[in-house]
Amino acid sequence: MADQHVLLETHEISKSYGSSRVLSNVNFRLDRGESVAVIGENGAGKSTFAKILTGVIRADVGTLALNGRVVSFASPRDALREGIAFIPQELAYMPHLTVAENILLGRWPSWRGLTTRGAAIKQARAECEQFHITMDVRRPMAWLKLADRQIVEIVKALARRARLIVLDEPTASLSDQESRVLFDILGRLTTEGVGVLYISHRMDEVYRFSDRVDVFRNGELVASVPPSRTSPAQLIGYMLGGEREDVSQSARGSRLTAPGLAELRQWRRDGLPPLSDVSLSIAEREVVGLYGLRGSGTELIAEGLAGLHPEITGELVVGGYRGRVFATPVVARRAGVGYVPAERKREGLILPLSVEANLSLLILDQLSRFGAIRRRLERGRAAELARRFDVRFRRLGQRVAQLSGGNQQKVLLASRVAMAPRLLVLQEPTRGVDVGARVEIHRFLGTIAERGCGVLLVTSDLEEAVAVSDRLLVMREGRIVGELSSANRTQANAIALAAGSSAVMASEP
Amino acid sequence: MTDAPVALGTREPAEQVAAVAAGRRENLIQASFQILGIGTFYVLILVFFAFATPNFLTYSNTLNILSNVTVIGLVAGGQVLTIISGGFDLSVSGVVPLGAVTFALLTNAGVVTVPAILAVLAVGGLVGLCNGLIVTRLGINPLITTLGTLSITTGLAYTLSRGVTIPFRNPAAGVLADRTVGGLSWYVLAFALASVIAFAMLRYTVFGRMLYAIGGNRDASRLAGLRVDLLTVLVYMLCSMMAAFAGVVVSSQLLAGSATVGADAALSSIAAVILGGASLTGGVGGVPGTLIGVLVLGTISNGMALMQVPAFYQQIATGVILLLAVGFGRLRAVLSGDSS
Repeated sequence: MADQHVLLETHEISKSYGSSRVLSNVNFRLDRGESVAVIGENGAGKSTFAKILTGVIRADVGTLALNGRVVSFASPRDALREGIAFIPQELAYMPHLTVAENILLGRWPSWRGLTTRGAAIKQARAECEQFHITMDVRRPMAWLKLADRQIVEIVKALARRARLIVLDEPTASLSDQESRVLFDILGRLTTEGVGVLYISHRMDEVYRFSDRVDVFRNGELVASVPPSRTSPAQLIGYMLGGEREDVSQSARGSRLTAPGLAELRQWRRDGLPPLSDVSLSIAEREVVGLYGLRGSGTELIAEGLAGLHPEITGELVVGGYRGRVFATPVVARRAGVGYVPAERKREGLILPLSVEANLSLLILDQLSRFGAIRRRLERGRAAELARRFDVRFRRLGQRVAQLSGGNQQKVLLASRVAMAPRLLVLQEPTRGVDVGARVEIHRFLGTIAERGCGVLLVTSDLEEAVAVSDRLLVMREGRIVGELSSANRTQANAIALAAGSSAVMASEP
Repeated sequence: MTDAPVALGTREPAEQVAAVAAGRRENLIQASFQILGIGTFYVLILVFFAFATPNFLTYSNTLNILSNVTVIGLVAGGQVLTIISGGFDLSVSGVVPLGAVTFALLTNAGVVTVPAILAVLAVGGLVGLCNGLIVTRLGINPLITTLGTLSITTGLAYTLSRGVTIPFRNPAAGVLADRTVGGLSWYVLAFALASVIAFAMLRYTVFGRMLYAIGGNRDASRLAGLRVDLLTVLVYMLCSMMAAFAGVVVSSQLLAGSATVGADAALSSIAAVILGGASLTGGVGGVPGTLIGVLVLGTISNGMALMQVPAFYQQIATGVILLLAVGFGRLRAVLSGDSS
């Protein structure tokens, strides 16, 4: 390997946030025309690494060398000037400008300060054709499909002479067909000597398109192998590490479960992400986990149960409710579904209101007479809920915005449990909460279920999915692709199912 | 829901009880702190005018201020509800004259006062219904929606009155203005009553709490299964009805209905609500603060008039005071490390 092949090299890169280390001593290298897939669990450090390469954030220590020269980026703009482009998950573009204007953003051909539309279109077209991409550059960006917008972003990078393109989960929201088109284009770029680094969660695309797979675990680069010389099982082994399996089993034994409390039949949705004929049932006293990668459709199931997706077709039985998928959140609430959304601050809590008002929000009818709130009763009830869920606060009248993330999450959970739901649906209940609160919340889920409520835990946190649920359902591309109960409920099996390599199932003890 | 605890808290019950008791106390302090700033400011204004002009601190002038603020006060009482629920209503500036003209036409047509007032309230309710439905069903934002209905209602008022002032043929129709109870006009009492009702509703009813919730976080309220759309429609209806009633009061005061009255209702009422500590993003605010806000505006214009300052300067002063008050509020929020 002669040195002039090397495009990018990192030396001992580390990064910490406060006391938690997210990257340690990463030595990475990428050659010209090489495509590297980066895989790893949530929180393994993949995105942080990509952001350091592209100047979004800075490493604490370590160096970055591009074409053999040590570089340091203060911003993505710096990185782009040196030829490294970042295509994030959330694309940043001007929706009301045309494709041509987006491609040439900031560099519009002009004549004495006036933009010249004809020249811009011609130039943008030339940029596209250079990489055999056909696209109507005169259309507004907003009219394009997501996949095409992504391609425009890539062309935009290439128009700035990018030599390395870094993509963060580019296919998460794309259909199979669209991903294929994207990888075709990326493949053509590599033959021109452009380097490609992409973060992925899907086994099939790692095998379909990459010269090398790099695996991150707990902030370390633990493996770097060509896909031809490794198996999906081995890759998953690298991602999880050896020692984690034994702790992942739930402490709770299999519980005697009553017959179905909630049943979803043939849920179906066209469009992205799709759902195809999802059926599942949740028994009383049961915690059912639903795990899947981004775009697999798990969040649709949770939101559908909350009444946010009336367009989903199919049937639903919850307690006394029997009929079509809930049309509105009001119907869902009346049927006895408590919903804990993923975005606690944006979708869950009423931040300007007090802890007390948030706790009592859904049970005000029980706490009032003729429309007048009985304040003493409300305060007592709120205090009781706060105690049961161990919410730490200075006073009940304190605004909920002032609590820590973990305590806010407990308030949210308590407010939903207060309404005595038949079915409690939670989405990412421990995202962004501290470890202590996480353990407590997991314990609460068990006790809530034991009192006769069904619990559906929708999570992309692998450890949580495996540890907390009695039964774990795994989704991929809008389908339930497997059910893992007691013996085979391991992190390795779950991720294998979610990422689309069933090969691992047999190799598990 | 049974009473068995889900989990035992680590906090001792006694400690918890103490925290609850302390909470009740501090809650009061917090609520009063919100209006403390504007309250202090109002006292300063009173002191200033008391020294600056001899006729200010008299019984008759106090009554004068009260009757002058009634119209804006009634409108602000409705406005504070919409602002707390996360919207706002510009159309009150059209509904006040529409109410005034409708009331004059009805009484001149021989309708007795009480049914006439009810009819005017119905007209107001209808406008509010339109506002609420447009905002919730069509998803058009409150600014555009109520700007549109402001124009429509103003136009309607001019059309109904054919652009001229309609004097009451029967002077007894000015009953609200003429009759007094203990020296106070009926409409001042009606204003006081409406304020008490609005206050109690916001603080002690489920409906009021819901308004704070949907204003504090509309998405979260919807996801939680609250009837956000219904509440929004109701709140716009209440606001318009208050404005329409304010129109009745104006025409009683003038003994005539005119399309030219109340044009400043929207801006003055919003200014009063904001002065009173509410936030245009919703979820914050209250009636006591709003009342002080109304009094601040009314007292300044009264005091300046007594000092024979031209009316245009009053407008300038009002604007400066609004910006100062809101600016101080922001400053305090930033200093206390609370960026929301």
